Amino acid sequence: MTINTAGRNIPDSIPGYGDVKHFEGHDKRIPEGNRYGKKNRASFNNKTDKTLPDIKAAISASGLKSGMTVSFHHHLRNGDFVVNAVMDACAEMGIRDLVLFPTALFGVHKHLTKHIKSGVIRQIQGSVNGPIGQLASEGGMEVPVVLRSHGGRPRAVTSGNIVIDVAFIAAPTSDRYGNLSGAVGKSACGSLGYAHSDAEYAECVVAITDNLAPFPASNIHIPQYFVDYVVTVESIGDPAGIVSGTTRVTRDPMRLLIARNAARLIESSQYFKDGISFQTGAGGISLAVAAYVRDAMRERGIKGSFGLGGITEFFVDMMKEGLFERLMDVQSFDLAAVKSIGENPNHIEISADWYANPWNAGCAVNMLDTVVLGATEVDRNFNANVNTEADGALLHGIGGHQDTAAGAQLTIITTPLLRGRIPCAVDSVYTVTTPGEVVDAVVTEFGVAINPRRQDLIDAAKEAGNIPLVTMDELIEKAEGLTGKMSPVETEERIIGVVEYRDGTVIDVVRQLKKK
Amino acid sequence: MQTAQAGTLESMDCIVTVSESEKGRGITVSMEGASVARFGEAIVSSTKDTLKKMGVLDISVSVQDNGAGDLVLRARVEAAATRLLGGDAR
Repeated sequence: MTINTAGRNIPDSIPGYGDVKHFEGHDKRIPEGNRYGKKNRASFNNKTDKTLPDIKAAISASGLKSGMTVSFHHHLRNGDFVVNAVMDACAEMGIRDLVLFPTALFGVHKHLTKHIKSGVIRQIQGSVNGPIGQLASEGGMEVPVVLRSHGGRPRAVTSGNIVIDVAFIAAPTSDRYGNLSGAVGKSACGSLGYAHSDAEYAECVVAITDNLAPFPASNIHIPQYFVDYVVTVESIGDPAGIVSGTTRVTRDPMRLLIARNAARLIESSQYFKDGISFQTGAGGISLAVAAYVRDAMRERGIKGSFGLGGITEFFVDMMKEGLFERLMDVQSFDLAAVKSIGENPNHIEISADWYANPWNAGCAVNMLDTVVLGATEVDRNFNANVNTEADGALLHGIGGHQDTAAGAQLTIITTPLLRGRIPCAVDSVYTVTTPGEVVDAVVTEFGVAINPRRQDLIDAAKEAGNIPLVTMDELIEKAEGLTGKMSPVETEERIIGVVEYRDGTVIDVVRQLKKK
Repeated sequence: MQTAQAGTLESMDCIVTVSESEKGRGITVSMEGASVARFGEAIVSSTKDTLKKMGVLDISVSVQDNGAGDLVLRARVEAAATRLLGGDAR
């Protein structure tokens, strides 16, 4: 066992995971080795059509065998049909013990539970949520889940840490030679950012589309020279689950108060000036922060440089209004963003490698001024947990949390002080996802706690005079005063989840829940 | 068997249902909901404490929790028990 710099006591080796590289600080791990490369292959003009009749034919052609690693992207979100369809086909073909390596899973993938129970899927390297998260938390998976951030995952792929045997890429449009687009087609999802590294590094790449376009396709996101086979199916997803409608700014007064506190903190900082860059999530509080910041930009005549991340209609409108020059889009959340990425050259698709991989010559998050994030809980050292719920169940992925927190100059976590009776500011978080060293402020309805290592922000906030400053100790005391003391989560020794930091070190582990 | 209830399932509230219990059976508490995993012991101890202060010795209590704080829980327990005993808690 070793206590890492996030204060977690982690075994030096974990069954089903292997030897642990311990977390030693957000910028401390020195990269080793070279970029990984797939085997060379040659293609000639005797084959100008890569289409195969169905998924099973593609699985056969790909050479997929039991025990191999298969990858998927999550741009179809909760509307995705492809992961379930491919796993069903594998099960029918008698393929077992697969390592599932998705960029994320959603509620729709609870269908996979039966394939986990029957041994078709042996391990998941990626986020688990809902029923699959519950199953894993209760010890229903033989091998621990490995969680990586949106930057940590491409780091693992491009460094050869994880070798993808077959990448199945859901493509809203493909031509017969494998040029893929997310911007057009009945299942359009916009950016295909999370799929790029898989296309580039997987030993075999199978595109699955429901819109076979004449060669060459338009709005090409992933080019033909990465794609080995193309399969056309009836439908790759349900549009209602792929893109959300308009996400509304919250109307809950408590959440608006949190958002206003966060916006004032941004406005008080040195970063609130021409050229500001900004990322928020698509959640209610995040969007409200964006709305307050937008109003302040209008009022003070400030023009931003770029909006980053998962892009929503809100950011599209800000760009149209001239409040951003560009949008850098790894994931398009709604219809307006999908439309914009297909039409507007200033709305740029970026890969996850470009977005957040710490092991390249510079990813997009490094250029961020401000990011507004959420968390299930934060602690005295400003550590944030986004993976586990209060009962200790592993129910959420990391997303871009670690990456944007590390990259941005000003990282703000917004959270209500309580969710029901559960306090969100605690002495020590149950799981450390993002270390406090990269978190600058925690904003609640009871006040704003700025990390003491950011005296510059504290001074600026004091000077602004309209920000209710508190210390983290005060927030924790306030929360405990309202809720009373929590009993500890009861767990077994067995580790069911490994939380990697974006550099591939282990920052924390999640243990199996005790049976009640 | 007589039962009585107090509370709602609004966020940060709970529904407390109480029913008669034979003499000597004591206070039994069952519960489900959002904060049970981390506040189960606190819920049981506040429930028993509230009932004991009322002089109720034998009763069966079910708490359906939706994030109620301690004061809310105690009030709901007291109201439900008062209703069961025919008191004026309306």
